Formats: sequence, structure tokens, C-alpha cells
Amino acid sequence: MRAQFRSRIRIVLALVAFAIVCVFARLYFIQIVHGQEYALKADRQFAAGGSGLFDRGSIYFTRKDSSLISAATLARGFLVAINPQTVEDPEAAYAAIASVTPSVLEHDAFLAAAAKKGQVYIEVAHRLTDDEGRTLAARAIPGVQVLRESWRYYPGGSLAAQSIGIVSYGSGDTLVGQTGLEAAYDGILSRSEDSLYKNFFAELFSNVGNLLVDTKDVREGDLVTTIEPEVQTRLENDIANLHERYASRESGGIIMDPATGAIIALATYPTYDGNDLSEVDPTLLGNPLAEHIYEFGSIMKPLTMAAALDAGVITPETTYTDTGCMTVNTRQICNWDAKARGVIPMREIITQSLNVGAAWVARQLGQEKFRGYFTELFGQKTGADLLSETSALLGNLSKSQQVGYDTVAFGQGIAVTPLQMIRALASIANGGAMAEPHLVGTVRLNSGITRELDWAETTPVFSGEAARATTEMMVALVDEKLENGRAKIPTMSVAAKTGTAQLTNPDGGYYADRYFHSFTGFFPAYAPRFIILLYTNDPQGVTYASETLNATFLDLVHFLIEYYTVPPDRGVTA
Amino acid sequence: MYSLYARIQFSVLSLCFFTVGALVVAYIGLIAVVMSYAALTVEFSQSVKNNESAVATLEARYLAGVAQITDTDYRAEGYAKPAAQVFVPAKSVTALR
Repeated sequence: MRAQFRSRIRIVLALVAFAIVCVFARLYFIQIVHGQEYALKADRQFAAGGSGLFDRGSIYFTRKDSSLISAATLARGFLVAINPQTVEDPEAAYAAIASVTPSVLEHDAFLAAAAKKGQVYIEVAHRLTDDEGRTLAARAIPGVQVLRESWRYYPGGSLAAQSIGIVSYGSGDTLVGQTGLEAAYDGILSRSEDSLYKNFFAELFSNVGNLLVDTKDVREGDLVTTIEPEVQTRLENDIANLHERYASRESGGIIMDPATGAIIALATYPTYDGNDLSEVDPTLLGNPLAEHIYEFGSIMKPLTMAAALDAGVITPETTYTDTGCMTVNTRQICNWDAKARGVIPMREIITQSLNVGAAWVARQLGQEKFRGYFTELFGQKTGADLLSETSALLGNLSKSQQVGYDTVAFGQGIAVTPLQMIRALASIANGGAMAEPHLVGTVRLNSGITRELDWAETTPVFSGEAARATTEMMVALVDEKLENGRAKIPTMSVAAKTGTAQLTNPDGGYYADRYFHSFTGFFPAYAPRFIILLYTNDPQGVTYASETLNATFLDLVHFLIEYYTVPPDRGVTA
Repeated sequence: MYSLYARIQFSVLSLCFFTVGALVVAYIGLIAVVMSYAALTVEFSQSVKNNESAVATLEARYLAGVAQITDTDYRAEGYAKPAAQVFVPAKSVTALR
């Protein structure tokens, strides 16, 4: 009896154990092996036809008081879908939807969609506001569904559009960053698919660690840029006015902190509105500041001067005999007015923008040293957080013909991007060291941690003395020459240089009457907070950059002084 | 002796049934907790997203305002450029500070 009872107990226990094993095995198969499948089925039941709400991190501008303003974020509203099998009266449904939102399909297209009885879900209107969506949902039209949707939204519209970038469907069916910061930081901004309900057991079986620390939270986050929205607006406004006034082919500008490389504003024109890409010229989607290369003209002269001063082959007091024109390798190089100045000191090369003088300085430097400095300045990409940066064209510096070096000395025969140009010029403002230009200063991770990006590395190119001596020459230009001295600000030292370059023609030569204008400047000159680079390509009806860009540069200088209340650095007694 | 065995067997059986029952209850409870947690998480998340969207609308109005002010020609509005601007040293303070 006892043995019989014991064997029964064993059988019962075995059955219970078997049942437990079965339950766990079933759990394993349901939640681990087929978990994804069931999750998809559950999602489909939860929101019929919906593909899940689009989610993505935000990009922020940083105001001067450190408050953040969205540059790119998500907008939420509703979409309208129809089930052609259950729409009773397509005409009435169309009328009802059209009375609420203008974004619905055209009448004929709607009726054609409603006639597709083989389908159960067709989206007919997007981006309804909350009020519109709720109004339409309240009408409970048979066969019409009102569902939540979210989409990428740029509150500033065209503000810094080419730098912020866009998202769109790439090769797959997921929205990903295609240009600008959206693409450069896609790994941080994109959000991995998250199941609606966390599968506790699956997590327990597969990854206990994820229950404690979510690895996504230390990877995904928002971007905080160094772009100041009001400065950006001002720069864009000025650039647009400049561009339209001279009917240029392209105009642009960058305002940067020369010490840190933080870009405060950057703009090009023409541009586009990130919220409406329906009729955008695809060529505008890139960023010309990092992708287009130009011969910048005489704003290269300060770099030539700084290189020669740094190498010790000249001093600020050195003089040379300016002949107005000179012939090198059968090619004639002339000053802008072809006039000879006689024996003059180095500063006149900058203040009067003398090509013959710049070529003379390049010769004092010698080809090898000249190549060394300019390769240091432009031989590498800037490393800025803008994708698709184009390399500089320095081909003339690999040849032995002196004319190539002479022309590079005054900014012809070498083509660089605006970003590379401002980085190089900022070395003069920053005591001889180049900082890394960048747009994103910090990343705010979903875990709550704010990660400062490391942009601290600088590349020393010139000595502090060479940079200061060059700065003094550029300050003299503003105080004495710019607008015949009227541009001088008694209480602020401003260093600047204009540049006018002839445009290349398809035959490999230069147009005699088409130009590229550029302008650079920084202030306060001896402890700069801002460096500005402006350019306009092929302006009509003008020859010199001083005619086109002076006013824009000075407007920006005065605006920045007032907006940031930059204290005077001269002309005021304490 | 027999009663002792019977008691032990009975205890083991009870323990097994009790364990199974407790596991089932715990499983159902955990599902309920997880579902409630997920529902609340989703609800809060949606609420945050909706608020962010509303903030974005306000930010768009702010940026449009900045653009409008920047684009305004103050001369056309009847204002004149100051005849002179006076700059003061940065360390200067007013009596009110």
C-alpha cells in the first residue's frame, strides 16, 4: 500500500514537474523564439494600419543666455485614413474631411482611393492639428479613421537649414538623417524600435543587464548646437539682402569664436525651408560652406604675411620696392590698380592689398616653407561636424613654377571651402593656433547625462608674435582705409581684410569681369570673441569686395557688439 | 509510522500545489504590473511629446518674431539712427546695482 502510494505520489510529482517544464518551455518559445512575431501582431491589433509614431531626438540652438530653442524637433497631430471596404458614402466622407483640413487628397484622387475595395487602409490626409483631428474624430464617419502621427518639424523654417539638415527615407522604410547635423549625428538622434510593452520575461531570459541599465539611454539623446538663433537670423537676413542686391550666384557667411572654434552662426543663400521640401532644388540640400571650394582672393594675404613673419624672413619693419606689376614664368602679376608704390613697409601690403607685395613675401619665404605653412593650414579637412567636407585644391603648391606660389600668396590658384578658410584665418586671431570648427557643443543623453564634446584640440601654425603683428596690420586697414577711415570704431579695435578674386572660366583661365568677393574680420582685435567670414560669388555690376561686403561686415560687427555688450577695448578711460 | 508518511506525503503535495498556485498568481500579478507600467509609461511619454510639440509651436512663433524684428527697417518706422553712441567700460556699474 505504502509503496503503491509512493509511486502514485512520484507520478503526480513527475506530472507537476513536467507541467512546469512545459510552461517554461512554452514561455521560452513564445517570448524569446517567437517574441518579435507576437509583438508585431500585438502592435497591429493596437493601432490598425499604423506604423508606430516616428520618434527622433531634438536639435537645439543655444541663446546667449544659455537657454535652448528647438532647431529640429517633433510635431504631433493626426493623419486621416480610410478603409475603402467600409466607407459608405465617399462623397460625404470627402466633404467632411475637406471641411476640416485642406491637406486632404484632391477630390478625384480621394474617390479613386475609396474605390479600391481590395484595400483596408489608405492614408488620405496628413499633419492635421489637434483641433482638426479631434473635430474629425468626433464626427465618427464610417470607414474614416483618425490616427495620431508625428513628423520632423523645424521651428525656424529655413533658419540654419543647410547645417541642421533633413531627414527622409533612405534605402529602407525608416526616416534617417540625410544631410547636415541630422546625418552627422544620426546615431544619437535616431530612436531604436521600442516595443510598446516591455517583455519582462524575455528581458529576464536574454539580458538581465538591460533591466537595470538601458543601453539605449547612454547612446540616444539630443544635440545642443553652438548656433545662436538671433545672430543666425541676423546673418541670414544680411546675407539674403546682399545676395539679392547684387544678384549673386551664391553668398554665405560664418561667425565663429576663434578661440574655441564654436560656430555661432553660418548661412548661405539661396537656401530652403526644412518644413517644405516638396519643391526644393536638391542641389541646395548640401552645405556650400563645407562642400564648395573657392579661390578667396586677398583675404589670403594675412596668412602669407603671418607665415613669413613666423619664419623670420621678414619683420613688420621690412621694406620692399613695389613696382606695380611683375612678370613671373611669362605671366604678369599686378596690383589691383597696377600702380607702383616704390619702397614701402610690410603693413602696406595688407592695408593697400598689394599683390606684388604678397608675391614678394612668398619669395622671401621660399617654396618649401610656403608649401609647409599652407599645407598645415589647408592640407587636412577641418574635422568639423558637417559631412561631405571637400578637400582643398592645393595643386599649385606641388609644382616648382614660382608663379603658382606667387598667386597663392594673394589668394588665386588655391581653392578652399569657407569653413577651411575661416579656420585658417582664425589662427591669426587665436595667437597662431587653429581651433576645430564645430556646431555641436554638447549631447544631452536620455540617461540624463550631458556629455560635452571634446573640441579642445588646437593646431599651432604661427607664433603669437607673428599673429599679433599681422593683426596690427589688419587693424590699420580698418582704422585707416576701410571706407576711408569712416569705418573705424573709436572704442573697438577691429581687424579685417577684403578679398577680390577673378572667377575661373571653363578654359582654365580667368574671367576679366567676373569676381568672387570675400571679407574677413575679427574683434576685439587683440582678444577676439568673434571672427566673421563673408563671401558672395559672381556679384553683378561691382568689381571689388569693398563695394559689396563692407556694409554687411560692419552691420554684423555693430550688431554683435551691442547684442553681446562687448566691452570697449580702446578709447575709453576706466 | 503510516500516519507520519501520510503527513509527509500530504505536505509535499500541498507544498507543490501551493508553489504552483503562488507561481501562477505571481505570473498574473507580474503581467498586470508590467502592463500597467507600460500603459503609464506610454501615457506619460505621449503627454511629454504632446507638450514638446506645443512648445515647438511657441518656439516657431518666437523665431518668426525675431526674424520680423531683424527684417524691420527702423528708418521706415520713423526711427532715426542715434547721433552718437557712448560706450562705457565693462567694469562700470550703476548706483542701482
